[in-house]
Amino acid sequence: MNKRKLLFRVGAILIILVIAACMFVIGRGHTVYFDNKETSYNGQTIEPFYKVTVTVGDQKPAKLSKGDRGMADIMGQKLTMTLEITDAEGDQPHAHKVSMSVPYNMDGIMINVPALMQGLPQDAYMSEFIIETPDTGSTDEEIVTDEFDMGGDM
Amino acid sequence: MNKNTNKKASPDLFNLVQRFSVPLMFILICAVCIPLSGLSANMLINEIVTRMGRNAFLILSLLIPIMAGMGLNFGMTLGAMAAEIALIFVSDWQIVGIPGMVLAAFISIPISVLLGIFCGKILNEAKGREMITSYIMSFFINGIYQLVVLYLMGSVIPIKHGSIKLPRGYGIRNTVSLLSMRQKLDNLLAIQIAGVKIPVLTFIIIALLCLFIVWFSKTKLGQDMRAVGQDMEVARDAGINVERTRIISIVMSTVLAGFGMIIYLQNMGNIATYSAHSQIGMFCIAALLVGGASVDRASIGNVFLGVILFHTMFIVAPKAGAAITGDSMIGEYFRVFVSKSAAGQQLQAAQDAEEAAGKEKAE
Repeated sequence: MNKRKLLFRVGAILIILVIAACMFVIGRGHTVYFDNKETSYNGQTIEPFYKVTVTVGDQKPAKLSKGDRGMADIMGQKLTMTLEITDAEGDQPHAHKVSMSVPYNMDGIMINVPALMQGLPQDAYMSEFIIETPDTGSTDEEIVTDEFDMGGDM
Repeated sequence: MNKNTNKKASPDLFNLVQRFSVPLMFILICAVCIPLSGLSANMLINEIVTRMGRNAFLILSLLIPIMAGMGLNFGMTLGAMAAEIALIFVSDWQIVGIPGMVLAAFISIPISVLLGIFCGKILNEAKGREMITSYIMSFFINGIYQLVVLYLMGSVIPIKHGSIKLPRGYGIRNTVSLLSMRQKLDNLLAIQIAGVKIPVLTFIIIALLCLFIVWFSKTKLGQDMRAVGQDMEVARDAGINVERTRIISIVMSTVLAGFGMIIYLQNMGNIATYSAHSQIGMFCIAALLVGGASVDRASIGNVFLGVILFHTMFIVAPKAGAAITGDSMIGEYFRVFVSKSAAGQQLQAAQDAEEAAGKEKAE
């Protein structure tokens, strides 16, 4: 193999690796849960809003009353959302656009909206949401193979 | 002179009808079944367009080994398995959407290449019996695939998410959800024409593969493959490394089949972990044969005609069967029976046509 060919091949592999690395970052999916619930931080109690509407991208807005939780799926490491907050009944809602980075290692991210709007540090409003796989009672499921190629719909 | 032409034209026409007996038979079956099925034209076209986007890439991956004289590559199943392994990893790493598909394609490449080299080397030891060898090879690799997916994933190979793993803690579930990438490729740039959804980006990718195949057949390697396909001994005498050329054709087919499987599964939205790949080889080959291809001759046109005819039958047969017999299960049996018998019939017809042509040549 001549030198030019080798360089070309190594270059091609490097380009593939770089693109794959980019896909890891830009394609990382997260499910973000929004809480409009009472929380406390350093002994300080943060009250929920009367109503919050959270819009992420072109997804269906999550309308949260006191104590509600909404969710949205995002791709990548940046979360940009629009919050329409109504502080008390009869008040006019005020809109805020919020952008933040999300941790790569978290699949589910829980954000407490009142704590976020108070300007508290990240650990006060963000935590990991771990989904428990429901225990179906059985220890295993029957594996279905198509050993004899009986087909089905394509 | 005229008499001679007429004499020649008659067997030619007979050979032509014999060679295209399966496409003609399918046109006939579709013509009968479409009205019986009661499906509207809009729905039927929608289904055919969807299935064209879903399957065409996979079927196109069969053309290169045919070019190299290796027949219909049942070993494309190996590429499908590589794609499934890649998609299981990507699902576990939670890489979603188009980036997830691209990453899965990249991960599938080394697995497909390794499997393709292995398959190619074995097929070189079984010259003249490539199809049956690759068919049995797909069963063999399926066993290894099941060992990896059923026992090694989760125990030796790290799999994090419980939604993918079997309740016992290792092995992959029967179905892995690809909801996060379902139809992402099809919906990007999709347009609606008279109520029919056209997955433009998927078709662009298929068109690019068609262009690649046309371009590739004109390159030095493509010409070498043609030469090997026509006569291995002559090709060897001409200085072509026959074994290497054959391995390359199988590797290319396996890699392309892997990409095709990713396109197929993103359209479906889930992986049937232990069965999705086993059906792929047979149905893709059946579709190609229905399109008028034979073991040593296939074109891009055969792919598209095959997809249209085969899948039209697939769509309408159960409903037509139900309408005729009153039992939808008979329709299901009917389509499996017809698709597999059609593949056999087409292979036989192609063989007969070749023998007739050979006799004519000898005369």
